[in-house]
Amino acid sequence: MRLPSGWTWRVVLMRALLFLLPVACLLLALPQVPNWAVVVLVVMCALQWARSPDHLAGALALTLVIGWWTVRDVVDWQIVVVAVLLTLAHVIATVSAYGPVGMRPDRDVALLWLRRGALSLIPLGVTFAVIRGFDAASAPPGLWLLAAVVAIGLGLTTARLTGTESE
Amino acid sequence: MTSWQPTPTLVRAALISFGGLVGGLVFGLEVLVVLAAPFLLFAVMGLLGRPTADPGIVTLLDHHRLHEGQGVTSRLSLTGSTQGEVEHVTRVAAPTPHIATRPTSGAVGSLVRKGFPEIEFSPRRWGRRSIGSERVALTSAWAGWRCGPRDLPAHGLGVLPQATPYDSRAEVPQPDGLVGGHRSRRVGSGTEFEGIRPFAAGDRLRRINWRVSLRSGELHVVTTRSEQDAGVWLIVDGLRDIGESGGVDGEASSLDVTVRAASALAEHHIRQGDRVGLLVVASDGARVRLGSGARHLHSLQGTLARIRTEPRAVPPERLDLGTSAGSVVYMLSPMLFTPLVTATATLQRAGQSVVVIDTLGERQGSDGPLELASLAARMQKIERDDRLASLAALGCPVVPWHGPGTLDTVLHRLARHAQVPKVRAR
Repeated sequence: MRLPSGWTWRVVLMRALLFLLPVACLLLALPQVPNWAVVVLVVMCALQWARSPDHLAGALALTLVIGWWTVRDVVDWQIVVVAVLLTLAHVIATVSAYGPVGMRPDRDVALLWLRRGALSLIPLGVTFAVIRGFDAASAPPGLWLLAAVVAIGLGLTTARLTGTESE
Repeated sequence: MTSWQPTPTLVRAALISFGGLVGGLVFGLEVLVVLAAPFLLFAVMGLLGRPTADPGIVTLLDHHRLHEGQGVTSRLSLTGSTQGEVEHVTRVAAPTPHIATRPTSGAVGSLVRKGFPEIEFSPRRWGRRSIGSERVALTSAWAGWRCGPRDLPAHGLGVLPQATPYDSRAEVPQPDGLVGGHRSRRVGSGTEFEGIRPFAAGDRLRRINWRVSLRSGELHVVTTRSEQDAGVWLIVDGLRDIGESGGVDGEASSLDVTVRAASALAEHHIRQGDRVGLLVVASDGARVRLGSGARHLHSLQGTLARIRTEPRAVPPERLDLGTSAGSVVYMLSPMLFTPLVTATATLQRAGQSVVVIDTLGERQGSDGPLELASLAARMQKIERDDRLASLAALGCPVVPWHGPGTLDTVLHRLARHAQVPKVRAR
């Protein structure tokens, strides 16, 4: 089987994973079937993401998957698996987006991002453990407000940092 | 785009993590918080790694003059204070005709702490080439910010013809210089034995042959032939290029054969200590005077590398070498034009030892035997064969170029012919 010019089997594997991982997150909910519109949108976005790892469709695919699982609203082991799969997809997209399709993925870059991906699972584990062991009824009254203020502060800082500088 | 911009990776991570956390905390959605948590690290670290200054990107080639088939490395360096803030560099070289790259795709990337990525270029055909036109993108830590892709200009590269292995044991027919490696007909201070004669005033004492002197009772000296260099002219036909050039590894066009053969002959004769001159017959013809030495060889090869064909170029009626008779002239040409044949015959009649090296080679047309192009090509071939036969009838040898030893037989014959007294036409 001949690959298109510039493609290697490693690139094909990475692009295939980019497509499959968001779809697999939805399949994980079987036998519960998500809304067909969600399925179609996720498949289309994942396809576009696999074609172009820099595309905004990637963010949309992840957002749709996260949104659907949020609506399902069950904190169980499947949530952890979904989070791991989404993180893996994000890492693969990041490594793929370093250069054009003809660029051979660098081993050092791949290892570096695998380490970073593993590191990012620490907040996941902590959050999952806290939420599973957390009793919302006995929380101090200002906790939600404080958390919301911190999150908004983070968002504002992000907006300021990502704003284009006027030269 | 020259300043640092947030990457899609950072945008994705920030959108999911901060959006998820805000939404999850404000609306009490626990699943959203859990799913957004891993992206928080990517977003925060990416944001914090924002570089502070605009970098300067420079690429340099190791060499600016190569032979076809040789390679050169393009190295990248960053100027400015951002070097420590850049984590990854991606380089993508633009594809250029007759230039091979390593890696083949021309795209290469690596972490800065492992060294800047390098691209190797290898010109596959002689001539003036532009290489190193590329796009470079820099990425900050955690793939948060990207500078570029920035377009970098190409570098000019002079590609000399391939140093084809060529050697000939034949002597040039009419060595006419002062010193050199060819045996001449004149008596002089060389090493080639010529004869023994009685001693005369002015003879060197070390030339006395004592054995003959004792036997004859009279002093006799050994005489030798002087060794002389030769004037060699290369006339290169750059009027047309027949066939398609596949570079140094592929099919050779007629101009490829011409230029490579001329380069090989020039190198051979310069190595022998001869003086070599060059006359390029083209729309922007060039002429390099007779000279010798490595520097002169470079000059000859540089002139050969600058040859360009021009469809409207017309052949000259006369070839003016600017030297008297006695030189060896190699005419490298597919001999497609009658005026060029006439000019060659004129040179031959003027007393030069002219050898025509046929550089057309064997070419098979892709068209059927009755196609118009095929018929035209065959008619042209018949006319060309007729011209070459006329030249041969005048005593001007015609040989197809096939590398080492191409000219041995011809030069031996010319050397014998040169010893016969003759009357020159003026």
